[in-house]
Amino acid sequence: MNHATLIERLGRIVGPRSVFHETGDLLVYEYDGSVDGAVETARPAAVVLPTTPQQIAEIVKLANEANLPVTPRGAGTGLSGGAVAQAGGIVVALTRMDKIIEVDKEDGTALVEPGVINLELSETTLNDGYFFAPDPSSQRACTIGGNVAENSGGPHCLKYGVTSNHILGLEVVLNDGRIAWLGGNAAGLPGYDLTGTMVGSEGLLGIVTKALVRLTPAPEAITVMLAAFPEVETASAAVSRVIGAGILPAALEMMDALTIEAVEPQYHAGYPMDAGAVLLIEIDGIAEDVADTAREIEGICLESGATEVRIATEKLEKELLWKGRKMALAAMGRLSPNYYLHDTVVPRTKLPATLRRVEEISKEFGLRIANVFHAGDGNLHPLMLFDRHKKGDTERVLGASHEILHYCVEVGGALSGEHGIGTEKRDYMTLVYTGEDLAAMAGIKNSFDPRGLFNPEKLFPKGYMCGEVRALRAQALAQKHGIYPI
Amino acid sequence: MASIQSNSELLAIDGVRATSTLRPSSAEEVADALGTADRDGHAIAPVGGGTKLALGNTPTKLDYLLSTAALDKVLHYEPTDLTLSVQAGMRFADVQALLREHGQTLPVETPEPERATIGGMIATALAGPRRYGSGTLRDLLIGISVAYPSGIVGKAGGLVVKNVTGFDLMRLHLGALGTLGVIVSANFKVLPAARHESTLITAPQGISDAFASAGAAARGRLRPISIEIFKAGDGWITAARLEGRPSTVELGIAELCGAVAADRVVQADESWAWWREYLHGQRLTETGDGVVLRCGFPPKTSETAVSRIQTALVAYDISPEIWTVSPGLGAVVVGFDRPAGGSLKPVQDALLAHAENVSVLAAPSDLKSDIDVWGRRPETVHVMRALKAEFDPNNVLNPGRFVDRI
Repeated sequence: MNHATLIERLGRIVGPRSVFHETGDLLVYEYDGSVDGAVETARPAAVVLPTTPQQIAEIVKLANEANLPVTPRGAGTGLSGGAVAQAGGIVVALTRMDKIIEVDKEDGTALVEPGVINLELSETTLNDGYFFAPDPSSQRACTIGGNVAENSGGPHCLKYGVTSNHILGLEVVLNDGRIAWLGGNAAGLPGYDLTGTMVGSEGLLGIVTKALVRLTPAPEAITVMLAAFPEVETASAAVSRVIGAGILPAALEMMDALTIEAVEPQYHAGYPMDAGAVLLIEIDGIAEDVADTAREIEGICLESGATEVRIATEKLEKELLWKGRKMALAAMGRLSPNYYLHDTVVPRTKLPATLRRVEEISKEFGLRIANVFHAGDGNLHPLMLFDRHKKGDTERVLGASHEILHYCVEVGGALSGEHGIGTEKRDYMTLVYTGEDLAAMAGIKNSFDPRGLFNPEKLFPKGYMCGEVRALRAQALAQKHGIYPI
Repeated sequence: MASIQSNSELLAIDGVRATSTLRPSSAEEVADALGTADRDGHAIAPVGGGTKLALGNTPTKLDYLLSTAALDKVLHYEPTDLTLSVQAGMRFADVQALLREHGQTLPVETPEPERATIGGMIATALAGPRRYGSGTLRDLLIGISVAYPSGIVGKAGGLVVKNVTGFDLMRLHLGALGTLGVIVSANFKVLPAARHESTLITAPQGISDAFASAGAAARGRLRPISIEIFKAGDGWITAARLEGRPSTVELGIAELCGAVAADRVVQADESWAWWREYLHGQRLTETGDGVVLRCGFPPKTSETAVSRIQTALVAYDISPEIWTVSPGLGAVVVGFDRPAGGSLKPVQDALLAHAENVSVLAAPSDLKSDIDVWGRRPETVHVMRALKAEFDPNNVLNPGRFVDRI
């Protein structure tokens, strides 16, 4: 199918004004939120902005006919290249499907379109006493569909779990253009958990057209605490002691000295400028319980060497403490023109050692690295500061990133806690998974999408093309029996 | 190679007999056994503690049982990380005992925890009343290793509490009844155990009063971890379980007693034992000639659903002796004697008019022949069949027992 025909046929499905194909219009879809240089960029043949599941079904059928890859896209805030176009493929941008179809107050669920913005869902449902718990830092812009694709996390995942824990059912367009429902809000639905399989599949298995999400009752009381420590180690020890005492805060975040240096002069959140690290701790629940827990945490922090503990109960005070954390990335602009935000996870006990290693790497590569992260669940976000116009800077960042990933995997961690693999980390997959592991994952891809229509060349390492599961298995078996192909 | 047990321990599933039981002692031995069966065209049913063998359609073929009993080791436990990795054959009670030493828990439950294994609990995914307040294994499973009929062992996830490295095979195998692979080990996020618990139990009352009590409990400031309604004689009892720090639980119970007429309140170990007994009543091991059936529906329709299910059952002359309702979860489980008509088909069909799904958790094998015990056929069954064809192309694992006789 030639380009003109493709554009014309897409126009017939969604209307010509909802198809982009001029170079200028396509440019933005070559990127997502990730750093230039860390992920490959590519120009799609067309971008379509459908408004109904039926239109998406037709687009998928057309893509099958034309044998073109399809990349679903939400707000494009992802940091691993998952929504970046495939060269010459079709991008299905879901931002116009942004309706909250129904909020079920009784059962605490909401039926939403994939383009609904994360924060808007919480703001809307708060009137009914609910919120949507996953709260990635990009929540002002990112969409529920994107959250589903990446299985997004956020500070409050410590207590409430990641996106997957909050998705009850999904309407999806499958590879043959069929529209189907997975899961739902009833106990004992039959068959494999395709909903759970779809969440976090990075757009490789289908396109989500509706999501039935679980809402979380808004807590009666919320207290935010700030604890300042002389260094990261003592703060880490306090984190372990809080968890060890059987307390599960709603959020438990850490920021190091460099982050404080970026944030405090800009947002005046009240973080002590001389602290080596601060912990931001949120606890929620019924008022009496929250008060008791706050006092207990205060005691633990002071015993662990905190130089100062503040307990905020007033709305403005709490918001200000959070503002520093939420705006930390934006504040980095004060220190450096560019930053590369990394996302890895290590077992919580390995946090202090990992942070020490990050510091060493920072020196080795001559890069400033700020740390702002979800300490409660061991999810690190080293922020590497650089200037991409300076020769060699991007390469040094990628080199440091490589070292950090290797170290995290070595101590039993994972490649990504909440940003996904996409193209950014696909070639690192063999660090954590064997050919056998990847063969099993490829089996899922093959079952949903044997032709490799959806988001090909993402998630799986190069050379592990998804269609070649049998070859992968044969390879794995050969390795197992010590037989290697000649 | 896996040892082969003598014929004295023969087991059958729904009357279909296996010739012997394989007892592999490592993940690799499980994979080898599956690889061999795949090559030789044999069918295998994985078995843990055998407490939920009633589940599933009648096997279309069965040559060997594969017991995970020898895979009973703790692979990794780091209390400060709140993570645990155990082999699939470890008994749930042993897992909990280990965690309890460190004040931690896997906040899920099963009948017969001394027998039930971790692998079996994952494969069957039958959640108990705690699902209301603390979720299920689905929320706690962070990594898994699975042996496949291709003869290999594949893992996914890891030992960190947050992980988006690749597809979520954990959820694929959860509730798959071992039809895609045999779970050999699993990693969990564990949680601090609650410091205290109490349960409010009402006297038997009318069904609408029982629902009113459940509703009042659900609206309480301290959200219960479980709310259940069950039939006792001619009446219905509501039970609500609260957990937390002692002062909080006391406060919650005091407030709850203001909203719900309590018959009694049981605390701490007594509360724990009460729920254990409650779950024991739901075991699927001694159902004999009886039928256990579960209906699922949106939680808010629970009261209507229960009344319609009652009416529908009466039409078939069925008056269940067991009724347990989970109003916050949208589930009712009923237990009754073999129906006079000799078929469950019309009963299941009639109930499907009032519920999203109706599954038969246990029934005499002859009653399973003309129904799909899993209930309604999912509209994505073609994807499920494709998954089966990918992971188990020669139907080695539990052939016929899963949804749509996969």
